[in-house]
Amino acid sequence: MSLQSSRLPHPMVTRIAVIIGLLILWEIFGRMGTSLFFSPFSKVVMSGHEIFYEPEVRRALLTTSGVLALAFILSLALGLVLGLSIAMSKFTYQTFMPVLLLLYAIPQITILPLFVLYFGNGPASKIAFGVSHGMFPVAVSVIAGVQGIKPILLTSAASMGATRAQIFRRITLPYLVPSLFTGMRLASTAALLGVLLAELYASAGGVGHFTRRFSETFQPDKLYALIGALAIMAIVINESMRRLEKRFSKWR
Amino acid sequence: MSGAAAGVSGGVTERLSRRGRRLSLLTKLAVFAALMVLWHLLTVTEIISPFFLPQPMAVMTVFWRILSTGRALPDLGVTFFEFAVAGPIAVLTGVVAGYLISMTRYSTVVLEPVISSLYAIPIIIFYPISVMALGIGPESKIAHGALFGFFPICLNTIQGFSGVDAIYLRMARSTGATKAQLLRRILIPAAAPTILGGVRLGLMLCFLAIIGGETIASLEGLGHRIVWYAEGMQMVNMFAYMVFVILIATAMNACLSLLELRRRGG
Amino acid sequence: MAESLVRVESVSHTFPAPEGGKEVLALDAIDMEIRQGEMVAFIGPSGCGKSTLLNVIGGMIAPTSGAALVSGQAVRGPLPKQIAYIFQESALLPWATVLDNIKVGLEFQGVPKDERGPIASAALKSVGLEAFAASYPHQLSGGMKQRVALARALSLRTDILLMDEPFAALDEQTRMIFGEDLSRLLASERKTIILVTHSLAEAVLLADRIFVFTSRPGRIKAVLTIDEPHPRTPDFMTSQRFSELRNELYELLRDEVLAAIGNDRQGLS
Ligand SMILES: Nc1ncnc2c1ncn2[C@@H]1O[C@H](COP(=O)(O)OP(=O)(O)OP(=O)(O)O)[C@@H](O)[C@H]1O
Ligand SMILES: [Mg+2]
Repeated sequence: MSLQSSRLPHPMVTRIAVIIGLLILWEIFGRMGTSLFFSPFSKVVMSGHEIFYEPEVRRALLTTSGVLALAFILSLALGLVLGLSIAMSKFTYQTFMPVLLLLYAIPQITILPLFVLYFGNGPASKIAFGVSHGMFPVAVSVIAGVQGIKPILLTSAASMGATRAQIFRRITLPYLVPSLFTGMRLASTAALLGVLLAELYASAGGVGHFTRRFSETFQPDKLYALIGALAIMAIVINESMRRLEKRFSKWR
Repeated sequence: MSGAAAGVSGGVTERLSRRGRRLSLLTKLAVFAALMVLWHLLTVTEIISPFFLPQPMAVMTVFWRILSTGRALPDLGVTFFEFAVAGPIAVLTGVVAGYLISMTRYSTVVLEPVISSLYAIPIIIFYPISVMALGIGPESKIAHGALFGFFPICLNTIQGFSGVDAIYLRMARSTGATKAQLLRRILIPAAAPTILGGVRLGLMLCFLAIIGGETIASLEGLGHRIVWYAEGMQMVNMFAYMVFVILIATAMNACLSLLELRRRGG
Repeated sequence: MAESLVRVESVSHTFPAPEGGKEVLALDAIDMEIRQGEMVAFIGPSGCGKSTLLNVIGGMIAPTSGAALVSGQAVRGPLPKQIAYIFQESALLPWATVLDNIKVGLEFQGVPKDERGPIASAALKSVGLEAFAASYPHQLSGGMKQRVALARALSLRTDILLMDEPFAALDEQTRMIFGEDLSRLLASERKTIILVTHSLAEAVLLADRIFVFTSRPGRIKAVLTIDEPHPRTPDFMTSQRFSELRNELYELLRDEVLAAIGNDRQGLS
């Protein structure tokens, strides 16, 4: 395991080369025979170009993005409130942390049909399912954040006469910022998973409708294009969250 | 000295030292029991209509019937067959790919970020491709489950092997260890805990992905059965199956954690 | 010198038993008086209760029995107007600049907003770190961090300064220089100081009186008076008397440290 970086190209260059290589392989395999399920990369890109000008698909993507944004914001707000109220005191922690852990441990996919029964087929169930995925990581990182505060900082503040409110504002809140961004990153991924699961299950409106339509009518190029777009969206969201987290965690 | 002083000061340090303590199993059981009682009271008094939330007793009765009559066996069989194929595929491909990538530092630096950003994609979006290509039967669930499980296993394998402290490697080399000895005596034992952690997570995700696949598009399997009852508005049956799946997942997680601990010698 | 500023009246403290353990008697009927402007050091084996006593005096711990009195008043909680602390580990907020770290202490103490800036700057200057006002703690060395902590404590303008092993994390050279600085500063500020330390040399260099503690439960074994005016110079450190005092202190401590090690061994088995 030696590093001979002096002779090898920069990792980023190789990384891009590897990705391009894979895409070329995809292209070659796609052209080798005509398959109902597979489509060369170039064709996928072309169809991608095409379908994103279809107003229906655009509207679906927009709906899904809106649902995701709402689910994300609600996850943050609820997770923060939940986390802070649980971490607030020893009593609330000991009483409610087990409840939180119990709920968090439930494999949510099993109760997806319940969400659709409760909230209907529309955006409400998708938002709710996204939130139920997204809020727990936020709450858990907030709690971990509060617990990670070095006791000496609190002791020292108390010795200088800080009130509870001052401790919260000057120590707890600033200390929480990095954990909050960690929670945000986790929540964005989790909420996306929740929303997409609900989309694929209910598939009325939103992108779920189109993935179903494209796969049932065997239009692999369009299906791949749509899924590729979602994948890129996921990667972009995750990467920007990661950067944000890094930026706000500098002092850690 | 008065209680006020203790409230001001003793509070700060004491509270924090206790917080770190792990919650005992007993507290968890108590909380669980409390939730059950709450559920019971809310439904018996019909504060929540039984259409939305069936009574726990009714659910338990049906759950017991499912267990005793073997009614769930066909669905359980399908789901477990899918898992029994997908799980090993995920472990095998994940560990081998992870090992190959971690063989040199350069390949690790180049490929690890690619895998981890792919892991950021909710794998579920690839499920429609599986269904289109492999049909609505077990094959699509197997492919989907294996893909879902692959990522954490592969990433942890990379991390496990590349995280081995260089000092051990130097020690092994200086004492003339062969490549095979190095792998067997140093790399594998050092990386095993991390890899096993990945295997546990991967297998759990694999199982849940299979349930998810069955929920979204299937004709059989436990996930499908829940949807089937949901569509028929048979809430009691639906809840009984949900409880069943949740229990299976919990038991599986417990077994895998135990295995992980055992291997660590903990 | 005048009457006592700090009095400790038969203070005993027992920590509640941790899960599965025995309760710990940390302090056993401690009495002491500390005069205005005096500099005392606590020295004793690890775990004998020095920090506990310091925290009782500072109002951070309510003792199980007995009381600490400051200016004749029983201590019932932190006294930010009279007592400032310097801790062993850095208690600086990592996300705030050096200057803000000092200002936040003043804010906690209740100093009006527009007065905080000038006081903080002056305090920073007195420890020679005015050039680092805008730096963050992680950009400073361990010694600089502790000097910021000292500046913060000074800025609070309290009569009493409690220091719990403030030099423990520093290297030998830095601590000696810090010690001389401290001696000089203190000669001019006339504060009452209690310093917990493990270093014999430090105790002899800085203290007017040294309280030697027994191993747990902590009692006072002896009080050593160092009759030498402040500020103390490197000359004092190289003098014959300095070594004699140091050796005397060493003899007093030796048995206790051995006893403490024996204690801990028993605790383990
Ligand atoms: N919060 C606490 N809970 C329980 N026991 C404690 C607590 N704080 C201290 N103790 C115990 O009380 C005894 C005295 O502790 P203290 O911190 O006062 O010792 P010390 O003399 O300052 O030691 P050191 O020189 O190592 O800092 C120790 O045995 C310690 O284990
Ligand atoms: Mg101490």
